[in-house]
Amino acid sequence: MKHLTDRNQRQNKTSALRRGLSLLALAGILPAAACATAPGEPDIASHPTQLKFPELSFTPPEAARARSVLSNGTPVYVVEDPSLPLVDLQVMIRVGAYLVPAGKEGIAGAVGSQIRAAGVEGRSPEAFDEEVAFLAADMSTSIGNTQGGASFNCLTKDLEQVMELFFHMLRKPAFDQKRLEIYRSQVLQNLARRNDSTDSIESREWQRLLRGPEHFTNDKVTKTVVEGITREDLTAFHRKHFHPGNFIISVSGDVKREHVLALLEKHLAGWKSQGGEPAKIPAPGAPASPGVYMIDKPDVNQGRVGIGHIGVKRDHPDYFALRVMNHILGGGGFVSRIMSRVRSDEGLAYTARSSYDFGVYYPGIFRAYFQSKSESVAHAATLVLEEIEKIRTTPVKQSEIDNARNYMIEVFPRFFASASQVAGTFANEEFTGRSSDFFATYRDRIRAVTPAEIMRVAKKHLVPEKLIILIVGNSKDILAGDPDKPQFSIRKLAGGRTIESIPLADPLSLKRE
Amino acid sequence: MNRRVFFLCAALLASPATAPAQNVDVKVHTLENGLKVLMVPRRGDPNITAGWIAKVGSVNERPGITGIAHLFEHMMFKGTRTIGTSDIDKDLQTLARLDAIKGEMQKEEETLARRLRVGEITDTRDPKVRSASHQELRKKFEALLKAQKANIVKDEFDKIYKGNGASGMNAGTSYDFTIYFVNVPANKLELWFWMESDRLLNPVFREFYSERDVVREERRLRVESTPTGKFEEQFDALFWGSSPYSWPVIGWPSDVEGITREEAMSFYGVYYAPNNLTACLVGDFEPGQARELAEKYFGRLKRGLKPPPAVRTIEIKQLAEKKMTGYAETKPQVRLRYHSVADGHVDEPALVVLQDILNGRTGRFYKSLVLDRKIATSAGGGQEGRKYEGYFEVSATAAEGHSPKEVQGALETILDELKEKDVGSRELQKVKNQRAASEFRKLRSNFSLMLQLLLRDSYRGWKTINTDPALLQAVTAADIKRVAAKYFTRENRAVLVFHTKEKPAPEKGAAPEKVDPDLAGLSPEERQKATLLKNNLPAMDRATTEKLRENISTGLLNAPKEGQAFLKALLKIIDGHLEGKE
Repeated sequence: MKHLTDRNQRQNKTSALRRGLSLLALAGILPAAACATAPGEPDIASHPTQLKFPELSFTPPEAARARSVLSNGTPVYVVEDPSLPLVDLQVMIRVGAYLVPAGKEGIAGAVGSQIRAAGVEGRSPEAFDEEVAFLAADMSTSIGNTQGGASFNCLTKDLEQVMELFFHMLRKPAFDQKRLEIYRSQVLQNLARRNDSTDSIESREWQRLLRGPEHFTNDKVTKTVVEGITREDLTAFHRKHFHPGNFIISVSGDVKREHVLALLEKHLAGWKSQGGEPAKIPAPGAPASPGVYMIDKPDVNQGRVGIGHIGVKRDHPDYFALRVMNHILGGGGFVSRIMSRVRSDEGLAYTARSSYDFGVYYPGIFRAYFQSKSESVAHAATLVLEEIEKIRTTPVKQSEIDNARNYMIEVFPRFFASASQVAGTFANEEFTGRSSDFFATYRDRIRAVTPAEIMRVAKKHLVPEKLIILIVGNSKDILAGDPDKPQFSIRKLAGGRTIESIPLADPLSLKRE
Repeated sequence: MNRRVFFLCAALLASPATAPAQNVDVKVHTLENGLKVLMVPRRGDPNITAGWIAKVGSVNERPGITGIAHLFEHMMFKGTRTIGTSDIDKDLQTLARLDAIKGEMQKEEETLARRLRVGEITDTRDPKVRSASHQELRKKFEALLKAQKANIVKDEFDKIYKGNGASGMNAGTSYDFTIYFVNVPANKLELWFWMESDRLLNPVFREFYSERDVVREERRLRVESTPTGKFEEQFDALFWGSSPYSWPVIGWPSDVEGITREEAMSFYGVYYAPNNLTACLVGDFEPGQARELAEKYFGRLKRGLKPPPAVRTIEIKQLAEKKMTGYAETKPQVRLRYHSVADGHVDEPALVVLQDILNGRTGRFYKSLVLDRKIATSAGGGQEGRKYEGYFEVSATAAEGHSPKEVQGALETILDELKEKDVGSRELQKVKNQRAASEFRKLRSNFSLMLQLLLRDSYRGWKTINTDPALLQAVTAADIKRVAAKYFTRENRAVLVFHTKEKPAPEKGAAPEKVDPDLAGLSPEERQKATLLKNNLPAMDRATTEKLRENISTGLLNAPKEGQAFLKALLKIIDGHLEGKE
């Protein structure tokens, strides 16, 4: 960290000057400042709104300057940062659970974890693991719904050795049968216990209600499925999808671009890409009918609640207005309306928020959520519904919109807080195909959002008649409500709609009684 | 990470921050009132991570006010004489009236608690059991709360920070410390000094009573409505004898519901004096300017009249093994927790290296229990050195068909090996390599560096970030053998076993059906037979029992698939019995 030392010495000189100035101010030589101060503290502003801050200009880094293309066509982003002797490398892979046929669910996840865990060709899994551990490299692989990833972090001095191990693993995983059996028993145990906590029940059932039971984003892995996974399934899936034509690579840290590119050329040489159009990512099915859905978990004293419906995609023209709207409604934490009413006003929950997620491939989901003791679930849910109604029908205050816009504009540089974040963001934008001027115009587009627009998008994109309300907890106590507050009840907030009780699925078969 | 959420564990401290070659260059400025400011300017994005730590946690509490350190942390976001109100005089008047009414309500609640104690009533929350005057007080209280809202500027503290582009604002309370932090844009350093010094100088605990309810919800979320939270809390209470670490950071429910605003204020007077605080800035700023702002803003704070009292109670030496068995909706598992040493003890580096020998994909636990013997699905352990005491805990989850007891035996075998045989030199070098690399990794983010400097300063001083790594690199095989023998003894530990409770009781109030985990999955008829065997075993002599075991083992080899579960269950019962006899 040599550069820090140099910089400090410079700063010490500057500070001596600055202190001199400040002493002048203390002596009352700048009376203008004293007007806005509290008595007895002549040079301290009486309220932070009176503080003056220097301008801060920030220009986001440009992706094009970090981008290279290998001879085989694979894009590589390199962001150099020599401040610590560490290197990060990440490969984003066009692969995901969406590619797995029905009845084989779980293969994507298995390949994702077992590339790293189950050895490589020519070495035993034990020998490979020992080698990686001795080099103190962090290495991992995973596959999610629409994206796969492989990455490592290591000391600069070990880069060549670690890279050799890493690409050998990515290219020629062994899927050792013994390791696969261990993985299978771990997964089966996790399946058996997936009804233990209310949050895992809630997230599974929410996805099912909102995306329809058939969509690949649902957890459909059952005991039968896991028992049916074979080594051949994994090998075939890997062979089909893991090739440089599906990769976007990002590297950051203590490296030189030319050196990294040369190493990558060497390790990807001769690895054939498979042509053809990438498979389409399937759209979700229809969501469940609007209404209240309850799942009974008798032995907890706090209910978990989600309230929401399908939203829009990321490329929707209302994207920026919706983000500002959600910040005001429930996305901004303590400055948002839902948190303010449910938590600070009434003390009914620890967390109470909303999110408006934008899908890349299909519409995202709007969801307001909280957890509250059984008897106050109806009360808190009523407040959330009131806030959704209010933002649709009453203009937001200028101060609220100013606050939200300022936050989103000023926090913008944090997207680029470190070299690995910069490289990862660039790779991700290319992977998901967003226009390269997104960051260049980001702040202007936030600035342009008006109160009228907030109400317009709230009216259009928050639809009370479509809301699905999921409640997981002690149904009996939740339905009974708070005897001191009979005005709030689940039946009342359901209106004319039915309250449906969903039986808890068997954890191993996912069948319901 | 939600705000006011996490209970940081001292594991962060157990693993020092830089490799031997690495030296974190920290500028230090100490004010006359005792407040220390640590500064690490670094290039990067135009942002500063800023925080401060109060050397106070649940260890400084006493029965009756457990949870006050954490509740206090929540109150620090509720504003000051300037922030959060449109009329401070009216606001303070209302607060005093609210306190008075709450005091009277508390007397009514004490009456209800007494009636509950003698069985006159069953639920203190039932409106029907309240007296008329109690109902009247509640109404008055609600009305006053509503009236107070006219003077409150809601969450103004958050609004000012957020509106200025601050992010990641949060705080955390632990056993030994309370920490507050936020990221501010590089041009907003003065805002941070203004806001933080104001809340230290002029705090007003408005919305105190609704915040107490928020903390109760937090407790439900983290402890009461999770499968094992309540058990873990009781295991802590069992493990510690005299130490104040025996109560949870979030506090016992009775205490959290009863803490008064007055108690919170006197707590503040002692523990939030500047001589008990350290601040830290990491990021894009000039130390000279920061020093100047620290003098101007934090210089206003008055040194405490008396230094905070030292924690007096030392953990009493444990004389016999303690055990707890829980039936919960969770995987079957076992934990062995040994009393060890506080942060900074001379034995701690060896215990930390020992922990690394056990953990990870190539650690001894995973290799033996998961990969080779396949009796567990996961296993791990570690040293937790807190400010005043410490423990070393190892744990494992039993694989299908294996019992926590069997897994416990395997964990013990590995700990015993460490007492008897030197760790190999390559194995030792491997974990030292990993430590050395992780010292660099921990410096990657400004936030992580700030956190470590503050935590370390609240324990043994920030300089340990530069001196601890060498202590770890110096650990020898003999050191590991010595500490293993010293701490891993039966009378020095508590054992927690979880058996899986298969299904929650269908009806509230009905006694939960206790299924013997050894018998889960058997038919009712098989279960009956197995229970019969279990009941008869104590009367059998060892030779007979062993003969029986052998017969069943032979039978198992030839048994059809559907009969195997039953025979395996019988073997398990016998094994459990034989082990117990030893």
